[in-house]
Amino acid sequence: MNVDAIRRGIPGAQALALLQRRARGEFDIDEWGLDPDLVALADPIFAARWDIEVSSAEQLPAVGGAVLVCNRRFGISEPWVLARGVRQATGRFVRTVGVPDVAPVGPFVRRFGGVLDRTDEIAGLLRAGQLVGLPTSRSLRSRVDAGTLEVARLEAALATGAPVVPVALVGRETGRAWRIAIGEPVAIPAAGGPLAAAELAETTRHAVQTLLDDALPASWWL
Amino acid sequence: MRALITGMGGELGTRVANLLEADERFTEIVGIDGYPPRRRTTRAEFHRIDPRDRRKAVLLVRDFDPEVILHLGVYEPNARFEPTEARLGTAASAVSVLGAAASCPSLRGIVVRSGIEVYGRRRGAPSRPDEDARIDPTTPFGRSLAHVEQVAVEAGQVAGVPVTGLRCGPIVGPSFPSPLGRFLRLPLVATPPPLAELPFCLLHQEDAAHAIVAAAGALHDGPLNVVGPGAITASQAIRRGGRIPVPVVGPGWLLAAATAELLGAPLPEHTRELLVRGGVADGAEARRVLGIEPRATDDVVAQLYEWASVAHLTPSSKGAAA
Repeated sequence: MNVDAIRRGIPGAQALALLQRRARGEFDIDEWGLDPDLVALADPIFAARWDIEVSSAEQLPAVGGAVLVCNRRFGISEPWVLARGVRQATGRFVRTVGVPDVAPVGPFVRRFGGVLDRTDEIAGLLRAGQLVGLPTSRSLRSRVDAGTLEVARLEAALATGAPVVPVALVGRETGRAWRIAIGEPVAIPAAGGPLAAAELAETTRHAVQTLLDDALPASWWL
Repeated sequence: MRALITGMGGELGTRVANLLEADERFTEIVGIDGYPPRRRTTRAEFHRIDPRDRRKAVLLVRDFDPEVILHLGVYEPNARFEPTEARLGTAASAVSVLGAAASCPSLRGIVVRSGIEVYGRRRGAPSRPDEDARIDPTTPFGRSLAHVEQVAVEAGQVAGVPVTGLRCGPIVGPSFPSPLGRFLRLPLVATPPPLAELPFCLLHQEDAAHAIVAAAGALHDGPLNVVGPGAITASQAIRRGGRIPVPVVGPGWLLAAATAELLGAPLPEHTRELLVRGGVADGAEARRVLGIEPRATDDVVAQLYEWASVAHLTPSSKGAAA
């Protein structure tokens, strides 16, 4: 009956069918807690809150794991904006790092793609071919600052050989309009060791800063 | 190859014995347990020995001089024994059998049944640990399994043989005595609140048995996570089984556990942890090393709730009716 309703194009029939499936427990949830059906259900809310424009989405790999290093100011909208923008542009989910492991917040945020901030967790996701969103440190004072990136946070990318893609997120917490600028993947140093990790972190941070500088207009007093 | 199976009286032990009997590589099979096997065996020789009777167990192991030991004498709390008895039986069985095995001249390898409970689910612990993750058990069953692994590794070092620790996901199946299976089949089932629960994975009893037999052939040195791919949450599993989920928080779990126990489905600590904190592991290495493909967690749940239909037989003659 529901399938017929969907075929006839009755408004809300698809959402109703999805809710019925959820009531029967017939939906998928992945091993880290992502619930794609719930993301689809919440999508109209995200659409009402954020209007996202994505540029250079072709830089993202169509399959396989990658680390998306992005800036953040307060870190409230950024993880949601990144996840929704990339999903809109490529159809792929982004697993943003930094979920607290405390119920009920932790499990709830994991349903939308959040993951713990652990090197082994990130490495496992990359091996499973997932896109991992790795924010730099918060830069509360200025939105033109890309923040800092700890060397240890890219260890998983180095260990798995996954590409590291710089991403600039431009927008305000008080506004709807956000822009996502995706840069070229950063070359991973051939030589291993701590120096390679440090160089990779520095190059990636610099690439995010360059994307931000290009995306934001110069201040009027400069 | 001469194989010794401990815990042969259990569902898993009996099934492993049957699989070894069908494999020509295993020329002699001896099993021990405190209870007789659950099914008929053809070639395997069973010895009824209480796991705590160290003298008898040690004598048997030394006399048989096995080439491979499949240590399945691991008793899950509230599966067949109450928690204290299960813990003591598990520890005694590991120490006596694996201790004696260390001095067997023909020994070539040890395979131990362990579980992903050894990783623990402390706050901040990895959601999907692989074999390199640090073990940090947070429940009595997890600590019990970690002890068995430690004893096995020590025995392997003394004997100079590889030790395979099979860290199985929670084993369930239509005929497997499991506290999780019993709990999930209650008509009303306590769960964490919706959207505040973490997923867990399961392993079908048949896949566990095949993994143990594959490990006996491979003799890999080190732990392997054996889990069904995919994951499911408690409330999802309950809904799929047509049961009614009852959201419970904090101290409400004490009441839920007491009620479940009254209904014949006691809720041990590791099962409660699984329902609330989830429990998943990366099983890629085991699939690669052992060449196994365990069925998906979704399918394991579906089979958990499948009941064979009852065929009522009509007596065909007066003699049969009598």
